[in-house]
Amino acid sequence: MELIDLSADVLIIGGGLAGTNAAMGAAEKGASVLVADKGNINRSGDIGGGVDHFLAFLNEGQEWDTQNAFLDYVEMIGRGTGHLSIIESVYCAELPDAIERMARIGNPLTQADGSFYRTQSMGQPGTYWINFNGKRLKPCLGKAVRKLGCTVLDKVMMVDLLTHQDAVVGGIGFHIRSGSFYILQTKATVIATGNTNRLYENPRINPFNTWLCPFDTGDGQIMALNAGAALTNMEYMRMTLLPKGFAAPGFNALVGMGGRFLNSLGEYYMEKHHPMGNRAPRYEVVYFTLEEIRKGHGPIYIDCRHLNENDLIHLETSLGYDKDTLPDYFEQRKEDLRTKPVEITVSEGMQAGPTEVTGSGIKIDKNSAATVPGLFACGDASDHNRCVHGAVTGGYKAGKSAATYAKGLTHGDGAPKSIIREEIDRFMKPLHRPSGYPYRQIEDAIRKIMAEHVGPMRTEGSLKCGLEKLQRIESYLDEMKATNFHELMRAHETRSILSVGKVMATTALFRTESRNKPYHHRLDFPDTDNTNWCGLVVFRKDGDRLSCSFEPTT
Amino acid sequence: MPPTFYMKKCTGCGLCDSICPADAIYMKEFEDTSVPYLKYPDECWHCGSCRQDCPEGAIEIQFPPDMLCI
Ligand SMILES: Cc1cc2nc3c(=O)[nH]c(=O)nc-3n(C[C@H](O)[C@H](O)[C@H](O)COP(=O)(O)OP(=O)(O)OC[C@H]3O[C@@H](n4cnc5c(N)ncnc54)[C@H](O)[C@@H]3O)c2cc1C
Ligand code: SF4
Ligand code: SF4
Repeated sequence: MELIDLSADVLIIGGGLAGTNAAMGAAEKGASVLVADKGNINRSGDIGGGVDHFLAFLNEGQEWDTQNAFLDYVEMIGRGTGHLSIIESVYCAELPDAIERMARIGNPLTQADGSFYRTQSMGQPGTYWINFNGKRLKPCLGKAVRKLGCTVLDKVMMVDLLTHQDAVVGGIGFHIRSGSFYILQTKATVIATGNTNRLYENPRINPFNTWLCPFDTGDGQIMALNAGAALTNMEYMRMTLLPKGFAAPGFNALVGMGGRFLNSLGEYYMEKHHPMGNRAPRYEVVYFTLEEIRKGHGPIYIDCRHLNENDLIHLETSLGYDKDTLPDYFEQRKEDLRTKPVEITVSEGMQAGPTEVTGSGIKIDKNSAATVPGLFACGDASDHNRCVHGAVTGGYKAGKSAATYAKGLTHGDGAPKSIIREEIDRFMKPLHRPSGYPYRQIEDAIRKIMAEHVGPMRTEGSLKCGLEKLQRIESYLDEMKATNFHELMRAHETRSILSVGKVMATTALFRTESRNKPYHHRLDFPDTDNTNWCGLVVFRKDGDRLSCSFEPTT
Repeated sequence: MPPTFYMKKCTGCGLCDSICPADAIYMKEFEDTSVPYLKYPDECWHCGSCRQDCPEGAIEIQFPPDMLCI
């Protein structure tokens, strides 16, 4: 096996939306940068194929269009799930620069005439969504990162962080085709590996038919946890509504343009259940949809027949910006938004932030720094970034902060080489076992356990049972067999998925209330308790000891 | 099996193999040329990146029966 040693000021793990912005932030501050991604940064991650909404206040004169009004909105939909001071620093302060940067790299958020096309949904007080054509956003970012001179390691899966004297000093990983092993020694490291998918049984059969990127499997969160970093908001199981057989997003576009949720009794049920109707916060729409299904009012549809011609044309176009193949899917399934309601359903669960403006994962401060020196985080892997706007702003912020930290170090001591070599063998073991279980067999069991015991209806009993079963399946991790480096990657993903499942069940057990139902819905504690639980559950690992603690946000 | 490769148009450039986020597309040798094939069809995320990036327009997306019928 070939060993490749590289060093630089800053390592970015995950070159998705947040990671590419982080690389730009670090490089534009003068740092030397390595970017490692298990895919190719030109097309990897959630928005590799395209995207269409960016959330922003623009100070265009309306009362709701200011920073203060935006922070009130955060407090309204995400109370107890984030610190406003951190959101102010990692998102609000970075927003003007982020909008300018998207234009500078060649994928502006504006229409051809230079204006912003703005829509409203998800509990917003005004039109916070900028609707845009983001089909070239990832290729543009990839090009910008390479042009800045960053060393890009495509198809390199990172498996662990390097630590020395309690600081993070880089990471290790392997090339998923050649198996070459990379030892990346850096002064600062940014984790930008997205949220955790393939965690719950998938209602569309295939576990890779997921809403968010199925290759984001919580690897970064677990690497950070093992290096001593704290995680927060891990109890939240995020869901959305999607076309029945294809996990293609489109919720923002459909609702933003005026789509109405319909049950099989012919009732527009959200208009009955919530004062904001179809434009209620996402978790409320999911909650009431689950209720409708439970009451026997399914199937559920989205109805767009009443939209005018211009809006329909805009909608049909932008659905293909967000998910390139959704128009093909509608055509092949013979769906037509103009003439009949389209059947939708609740998505698979995933571990991700409880709202569009508060995240989950690695706990960060105002400078995007984790709780371990040398480590930074951004995007869906961090607890105060979420969605496109969070990844673009928070990514750049994390990159800048990592560069500043790296430059401030008088000397960067790397981890001793002898220890690293021992580590490498550990990560290659599934390749060398004469026989064993394929990753998929273990992963299917994890998804089943998560769906049945750690899902949207949780109790102390179900969570404890889930944890016990997860521990049982954990004993089989060391019996996974991989026949090539692709399968080795999947086997490591399975490990991360299982670890995230355990953290999720443990933190869900700790929070004895419900918040942002159904994302954290304890049937035995069904109310939201703002007196005792308005804040974050902080999860840490100290050696073999796992601990939960509570950090108020008000 | 979403992406279908049209060999008459494909030049074997390998771009689809290089960018697929699923690591699902691989190249193989066939009659002295390099051709793409879907090695891990179940892992395709239907992101459409291969079709968008193919310089020859040699890729079409066809959804499987389970996705079209459930
Ligand atoms: C199709 C789609 C459309 C969406 N549309 C919108 C929208 O319109 N508006 C909105 O606000 N939000 C939208 N979202 C959500 C939004 O795109 C995400 O929240 C955001 O892109 C997350 O950015 P990220 O950088 O954290 O994750 P990603 O962009 O997914 O990046 C994570 C990267 O890490 C890499 N990686 C993971 N693990 C490892 C590892 N171990 N080693 C190396 N690399 C690794 C992955 O390959 C990936 O490239 C959409 C999501 C999807 C899937
Ligand atoms: S659609 Fe996306 S995931 Fe599927 S083969 Fe093409 S590039 Fe890969
Ligand atoms: S990108 Fe197109 S032309 Fe190039 S190998 Fe793939 S299918 Fe063939």
